[in-house]
Amino acid sequence: MFDKLEKALTPIADTLSKNKVLTAIRDGFLVTVPMTIVGSIFLLIANFPIDGWSEFIASFAGEGWEAYLSAVTSSTFDVVALTGVLGIGYAYAREQGVDKIAGAVVALTCFLIVTPKSHPDYVNEAGKAFSGFSFGNLGTAGMFLGMITAIVSVLIFSWAMKRKLVIKLPDGVPPAVMDSFAALIPAAFAMTTFAIIHGIFKNTSYEYAHNFIYEVLQAPLVGIGRSNLFEVTYQFLSTLFWFFGINGPAVTNTVFGPIHKVLTQENLDAAKAGLEMTNIFTAGFSDFFCNYGGGGSTLGLVIMMAFLGKSARIKQLGRLSLPAAIFGINEPIIFGLPIVLNPIMAVPFILVPVLNTVTATIATNIGVLPITSGVQLPWTMPIMFSGWLVTGSLVASVFQLAQLVMDMLIYYPFLKMLDKKYLEEESLHADETDDLDDLSFDDLSFD
Amino acid sequence: MKLLLIFDSGLAGAGGKSNPNCELTAKKGMIGTGEMLAPHFNKIGGTVIATLYCGVEYFKDHQDEVVKKMTAMAKKLSPDFVVCGPGFNFPEYSEMCAMCATSILENTDIKACAMMSQENSATIETYRTKTPIVKMPKKGGTGLNNSIENLCELIDASVNHPEKLEEVKNKYCY
Repeated sequence: MFDKLEKALTPIADTLSKNKVLTAIRDGFLVTVPMTIVGSIFLLIANFPIDGWSEFIASFAGEGWEAYLSAVTSSTFDVVALTGVLGIGYAYAREQGVDKIAGAVVALTCFLIVTPKSHPDYVNEAGKAFSGFSFGNLGTAGMFLGMITAIVSVLIFSWAMKRKLVIKLPDGVPPAVMDSFAALIPAAFAMTTFAIIHGIFKNTSYEYAHNFIYEVLQAPLVGIGRSNLFEVTYQFLSTLFWFFGINGPAVTNTVFGPIHKVLTQENLDAAKAGLEMTNIFTAGFSDFFCNYGGGGSTLGLVIMMAFLGKSARIKQLGRLSLPAAIFGINEPIIFGLPIVLNPIMAVPFILVPVLNTVTATIATNIGVLPITSGVQLPWTMPIMFSGWLVTGSLVASVFQLAQLVMDMLIYYPFLKMLDKKYLEEESLHADETDDLDDLSFDDLSFD
Repeated sequence: MKLLLIFDSGLAGAGGKSNPNCELTAKKGMIGTGEMLAPHFNKIGGTVIATLYCGVEYFKDHQDEVVKKMTAMAKKLSPDFVVCGPGFNFPEYSEMCAMCATSILENTDIKACAMMSQENSATIETYRTKTPIVKMPKKGGTGLNNSIENLCELIDASVNHPEKLEEVKNKYCY
């Protein structure tokens, strides 16, 4: 059965993880992660989940101190489509084998070409309408258009580059000057195309590409992300791939990543606007309520290995793996226990993240678990801290502990099975006496 | 068929990055990733008699000693085949695999191979003419199970069907 399943999954994993467009989108958004994490820290300081925090800081920093921090959060979250375009443009140029930074800048420019610049509805006291780029178009709502623009513009750019539609300068011209002139005609192709696209949309009821893509693509896709099956499907597929040694999230994030990102951003936007947050399946939910200790939610398993394991192998591996497991890394046991291709561990490894997701979803729906705020924390954030910071409530930390106990209960019988097997092997080896006993590198001869 | 495995401490289940200075260790039977390989070995009648391992930092600091002692231990245990790997895309461990397999082939009559992913291009280039190096995916890549089957075909051909060895090597090795 495993063979058949692997044969079915491998081509899917290959197609998704080797697809240049999907890889560029996944890697391009990764470029924005450090900025959004730093932005989240500023956001957390401004809204630290302790009663009286704001007043306490105001007592020495003055009223309205949060505004200083919002300069950072705004410059990361409110322009996430803009930084995403740069990242995706760069990553796709890399995939296409053309000048990466030129590709990134062309993508950014093309995105700005199709972005609204005049806002007749926003008029100041002097009666003058706002002219410029608005956060509304550069942030969450522009993310899918950003992805499409980056891919199409770099595709046109690289097409022209590869067909040598470039201006050649004589030898001896400095390379930086040579590169910028080489990019000129390809950039002109891309920019003209987007100017035409912009012109076409101006003459439709949508007015802008932003409105069109948001309505026909982003809203429906993100709608799928709000369905109850979204997260469970993501978690199930991610661990299923891992079981066969394939990096699950690297495959699944090509499809699920952009939707997670938008769902997370939407909650953040809602919170900033003082509206109710409605998206359950944010990146924070996925990282901190579905998996503890890495893929397969193995933290509970590692704790039991360290403290309940009877065989020397299980005990030693558990103790060595525990520090990394607390920070969400389970590589030592993935290959050391092992979990990959180990039929005994297949059931809990795939089942536990699914059950975590189902229970956390139900708990959020019935109001026990507070909704995640859209704050983006490093996925290595330890259990309890992560729950508290991502929801602002200690209830979430308690819920995480309860899930950890549930994970342990599910893993326990399977661990016992494995532990018993290893223990038998160890005692068998202890009983047998042959020339393989007392293997030691100390008494070797080197003739 | 008696098989000997050469691992790093991570694959041996003795902690990888958390135990990088792990000294040379020999364990009877199979441990760690050996569990993942065992069902495949069973199909060709292979049994793991022992697993030798050390941490990658220990290897970096004691390269000559590690290679020499691994070779001497292989000679003492006298298996039918020594598997040095799977090295995935781990650079130090893959180099250790290539060096140990080469030394065992050059200094003993025991058959051996290394196994690693294409990311170790420099190691592959240096050692591919000295030892068979079975192709495999990097960590998290697709086709792990397949590559283990290919490894078994190579072991089986080396030990039982030498007439097929060149063909198998051309098919599955760098």
